[in-house]
Amino acid sequence: MKILVCIKQVPDMESRFKPNGSGVWFEETDLAFRMNEYDEYAVEQAVRLKEQLGDAHEVTVLSIGPDRVVEAIKKALAMGCDRGVHVQDPAASLKDPWQIAAIIAAYARDKGFDLIFTGMQSQDRGSAQVGVTVAEDLGLPCTTTLVGFAYDNGTITAKRELEGGVKGVVRVKTPALVTCQLGLNVPRYPTLPNIMKAKKKEIEAIPVGDLLREEARTATASFHPPAKKGGGIVLEGEVGALVDQLVGILKDKTAVLR
Amino acid sequence: MDFALTAEQKEFQRTVREFAERELKPGASRRDETGEFPAAIVPKLAEMGLMGMVFPLEYGGGGRDFVSYAVAVEELARVDAAVTITILAHTLCAGHIFAFGSDEQKRMYLTPLARGEKLGAWALTEPGAGSDAAAIRTQAVADDGGWRLTGNKFFISNGSRADTLVVMAVTAPPGGKRGISAFIVPADVPGLTKGKNLDKLGFRASDTVALTFKEVPVPGANLIGEANRGFAQAMEILNGGRIGVAAMALGIGRACLEESIAYGKRREAFGHPIADFEAIRWMLADMATELDAARLLVHRAARLKDSGERFVREAAMAKLFASEAATRAALKAVQIHGGYGYTRAFPVERYLREAKLCEIGEGTSEVQRMVIAKELLKT
Repeated sequence: MKILVCIKQVPDMESRFKPNGSGVWFEETDLAFRMNEYDEYAVEQAVRLKEQLGDAHEVTVLSIGPDRVVEAIKKALAMGCDRGVHVQDPAASLKDPWQIAAIIAAYARDKGFDLIFTGMQSQDRGSAQVGVTVAEDLGLPCTTTLVGFAYDNGTITAKRELEGGVKGVVRVKTPALVTCQLGLNVPRYPTLPNIMKAKKKEIEAIPVGDLLREEARTATASFHPPAKKGGGIVLEGEVGALVDQLVGILKDKTAVLR
Repeated sequence: MDFALTAEQKEFQRTVREFAERELKPGASRRDETGEFPAAIVPKLAEMGLMGMVFPLEYGGGGRDFVSYAVAVEELARVDAAVTITILAHTLCAGHIFAFGSDEQKRMYLTPLARGEKLGAWALTEPGAGSDAAAIRTQAVADDGGWRLTGNKFFISNGSRADTLVVMAVTAPPGGKRGISAFIVPADVPGLTKGKNLDKLGFRASDTVALTFKEVPVPGANLIGEANRGFAQAMEILNGGRIGVAAMALGIGRACLEESIAYGKRREAFGHPIADFEAIRWMLADMATELDAARLLVHRAARLKDSGERFVREAAMAKLFASEAATRAALKAVQIHGGYGYTRAFPVERYLREAKLCEIGEGTSEVQRMVIAKELLKT
């Protein structure tokens, strides 16, 4: 079985984000980068599947971006992926989800992957489009927001999380693509011995120009922090009237009493 | 000397820091309170590769340099010093076998220690012999091709938890002159009794016990190196150990500084965050300066060790300065936290109790000064 995991490197979400000069993305200097959280679930699940199936099966991890994304690829290799693919693109943040999906699909098209794992969405852009678009591009069935995964003899049984905590179960035959959600698993930490071993694993570098043939279909017009909120409201008057006023506000302006 | 960490060392640092935050931080304060040994943590340290960082890959170690070891120890001690000292004591034991043991001894004892499958302890100190380590009285009497050990050891870290002990004892071969030799002693031998964890000021979750040897049989094959060379071996092991304790002190000191900065920004008095006040700022500045100086000393000693040069004076300086800087930082951290700092609600009181040990264990500050002066006055 050939497995592909697609990962993105994103800034640490506790960072302070500032719009960059062009105002369509954030300033990257001084940010610490890490693997997108949802992609960690994808890597973990792919590695667990390999462990279930045995060493003859191979997990490839792919990431698109500038040189720094090699760090995320190395982490995935230390977690247990077998080989890495770095699609070199210093301007990945300017690509729209359509283009990113097209790059992945172009790489994967003739490789015969039986299963592709992606995160549900990225923590920075959050479009949640890349996984499903890759599936569409490759003509693969796809199921999303996995919180449970089982594989047996060519069939995936996927537990999905729906709105309001409702769960659904989907069965899909490979080849297929799945996107992973929080709750699917607890990603392992790369141990120091495994980090050492990962250094010997191959990372293939492919210039983005070799894979991308698509123009962007959407353009980010603006990236900005929300407007600063005004000060709080101070209610004054009789207690009874205050309670009515407060309940009214909580009903109208918040979800607390709905 | 270039003090910048390599990309690999930085990645290693980040990995250890994340591990410490995730695995050690949640229980550190509770373990300090209950004094429970971090038994469930040790297998995690082993899996992570933290029990044998500096030993070669062929013996199950991590193949890291001593600078990386110092970096890792600082990161671990920043979060949980009691767990850290467990690694330090273990490393003395494994390091002794690595430095002076035979190939056979390394295969048999070092490999499981470096892999973290077994826990090690190193037994030199006795009730009547601390700084004056040459005054130990535990006897190893030659007996039928092997030895029988009798005597008392004290303040032995990991002593009751270890699977493998390295024990220093007085040997007096028939007709030969008195010396000290080092032995590998499996912890399950008859005649060895282990005391309870001592009721200590800090490092309460670390296992620190008395060991009593009564005619403990040790095979001849378990003598490390030559007979009567054990004291010189032990002194060399302690030189490396001092870098470990210095790095541990540095970690505790850094925790004090980080907590103080966070608290100083948050806590308000007289309508300002207290970090606005000069009195607090000066304390923070002094802490940071001393800790940075300590780190340079620690890394200098580690780099000398890595390059195979003599580092006796440098290791003693690092240990002396880092441990005293840590205690000063901890005192300031408690002061900055005011009344809250004196309670268990904040970790700085624990850091103070932990920092103090660094001035005592593995050679007191006074011994470090003696070592430094002796090195200076050598012709």
